[in-house]
Amino acid sequence: MSARPATGLRAGTGHRRPAVGQYAGDRRRAWPYPRTTLGAAAAGAVAVPFLVPPYPLHQVTLVLVYVVALLGLDLVTGHGGLISLGHGAFFGVGAYTAAILLSSGAPYPVTLPAAGLVAYGLGHAFGRPAVRLSGLYLAVVTFAVAVAVPPLIRRLAPGGAMGLPVRTPGAPSFTGLDDDQWVYLLVLAVAAAAFTLMRSVIRSSLGRALVALRADAGAAELLGIHPSATRAHAFAWSAVYAGLAGCLFTWTTGFVAPESFTVTLSITLLAGIVIGGLGTVSGAVIGAVVVTFLPAPGLVSGLALVLVLAVAPHGVTGLVRRAPAFLGRRRP
Amino acid sequence: MVPMLEIGRLTVRFGGVTALDAVGLVVGPGEVVGLIGPNGAGKSTLFDCVTRRRDPDDGVIRFAGQDVLARPPHLVAGTGIARTFQHPAVFPGLSVRENVMTGAHRFGAAGFWRAAFARDGERRLRAHADRVLDLFGLLGLGDHPAAGLPHGVLKRVEIARAVAAEPRLLLLDEPAGGLGPEEALALSGLIRDLHRATGLTVVVVEHHMEFVLGLCGRIVCLDLGQKIADGPTHVVRRDPAVIAACLGAR
Ligand SMILES: Nc1ncnc2c1ncn2[C@@H]1O[C@H](COP(=O)(O)OP(=O)(O)OP(=O)(O)O)[C@@H](O)[C@H]1O
Ligand SMILES: [Mg+2]
Repeated sequence: MSARPATGLRAGTGHRRPAVGQYAGDRRRAWPYPRTTLGAAAAGAVAVPFLVPPYPLHQVTLVLVYVVALLGLDLVTGHGGLISLGHGAFFGVGAYTAAILLSSGAPYPVTLPAAGLVAYGLGHAFGRPAVRLSGLYLAVVTFAVAVAVPPLIRRLAPGGAMGLPVRTPGAPSFTGLDDDQWVYLLVLAVAAAAFTLMRSVIRSSLGRALVALRADAGAAELLGIHPSATRAHAFAWSAVYAGLAGCLFTWTTGFVAPESFTVTLSITLLAGIVIGGLGTVSGAVIGAVVVTFLPAPGLVSGLALVLVLAVAPHGVTGLVRRAPAFLGRRRP
Repeated sequence: MVPMLEIGRLTVRFGGVTALDAVGLVVGPGEVVGLIGPNGAGKSTLFDCVTRRRDPDDGVIRFAGQDVLARPPHLVAGTGIARTFQHPAVFPGLSVRENVMTGAHRFGAAGFWRAAFARDGERRLRAHADRVLDLFGLLGLGDHPAAGLPHGVLKRVEIARAVAAEPRLLLLDEPAGGLGPEEALALSGLIRDLHRATGLTVVVVEHHMEFVLGLCGRIVCLDLGQKIADGPTHVVRRDPAVIAACLGAR
């Protein structure tokens, strides 16, 4: 193909390059030192349990738990554009799977894959039929799941409405760590693995396929992307993330009760991912901080939500990504 | 020899409008066929049927001897058919390169677990996409989000995406629509080169007559859902019925 015409087909003739962060899902790098930042964050995260007193450490551990949950929700909602109102239910199912196994004497490392597997099964069972129809249908089906799970737990699970206290993972004696430090490091390891995995998945064929389906399902289908199978697959994996996060929650708190996993949790998680920024992994981290520290649902948190979205329609991440362009424009 | 595309008695009705009326069309391997006709003739509807976006009311469509209508839309790409749309259907949330990589979706790993560890596959897809981007003069825009690009560039991105799927049959719906004369000329040269290099079969819908006359060895003309002409370019361009239906109007 040597006789390539040299006329006309030139790149960049008269196009307008939009500012970074202007479009949801814009994947250009806005931050110049991603590796350095990630490395510093990792080092900081490992240092935290040795610097922070027990109660704040418990809260930081919870942030990491919600990071895992929101990474999963972001796959379906941020990239797939589907609204799941059942994420809290899958979280609860994972938490109870872990709690029941722990109270029947199973060693704690077993509970993590078990919670993931149960959530995967349920995610497939509910996601597969639901995603075949419109995105709104998925919202309704997942809402039904979210509403049904707490009463089911109350009736069927050991502990009933009173909840179920369980032992938390204890630090092996050779480490010389306190138990809460040990739990923190366990949760950190799982969260780091979940983060790394999700980052490469959303940059892969699956991530592109989800974004393509959201934009134009008909055109995506003609490129060989199976709409319902792709969405169901993403939904099932988002449920896995929720289930794993639920298990980590049990490890962290040592107590599960039905009212921890009501539809309010699902809605709070959805709010967290929207505030953090849809379609970005860093949005999941910011969203997790919001979920952990958001005051109980009420007037204050509702108004705070509205305010944040008015200032930052693409979430906090969108705001941060846009800052350099904004500041650059201000400077003479 | 088995024809690449074989359409028989294709009929599509929209309420009272018959968009396609028992249209037959055979395209041989390696042909470049122009599909012309006035607005509303049924050209896009024919593409929609071949790519399974629309179920015809009647008719058969075979691609390389296989029944197209027996397949779901997402398996059409796998058989070797790719198309572009009259209004470019690029994915605005993805970069230009990612759009083209999506064209090659069927070569990649789509499962969560495999996708997470498909580094080599990703690198290969990326290199493949970059070759196609280079061919279309789009390499410099690879990282640009598809949102915010001008129409002419989007048209090219969409064709690049279709080419990245390595189809045997390429259906182009008004590829020169909205392009300046110079850009249109370059695009037709590019398609000709592509055809020469790969032996690709092309069906191109276009109102831009110079584009069609310069590119296509054979022209099929539709009017009000009926085929009114089908033959070598130099014959069809002098056909009075064709001139009355589309050429004369321009
Ligand atoms: N979804 C639809 N619902 C109803 N009528 C439709 C629909 N799509 C197409 N038509 C009608 O079918 C006929 C053929 O349309 P089609 O888009 O195939 O024409 P075309 O040859 O591609 O025209 P153009 O050159 O304007 O793109 C037109 O009369 C059009 O109004
Ligand atoms: Mg048309």
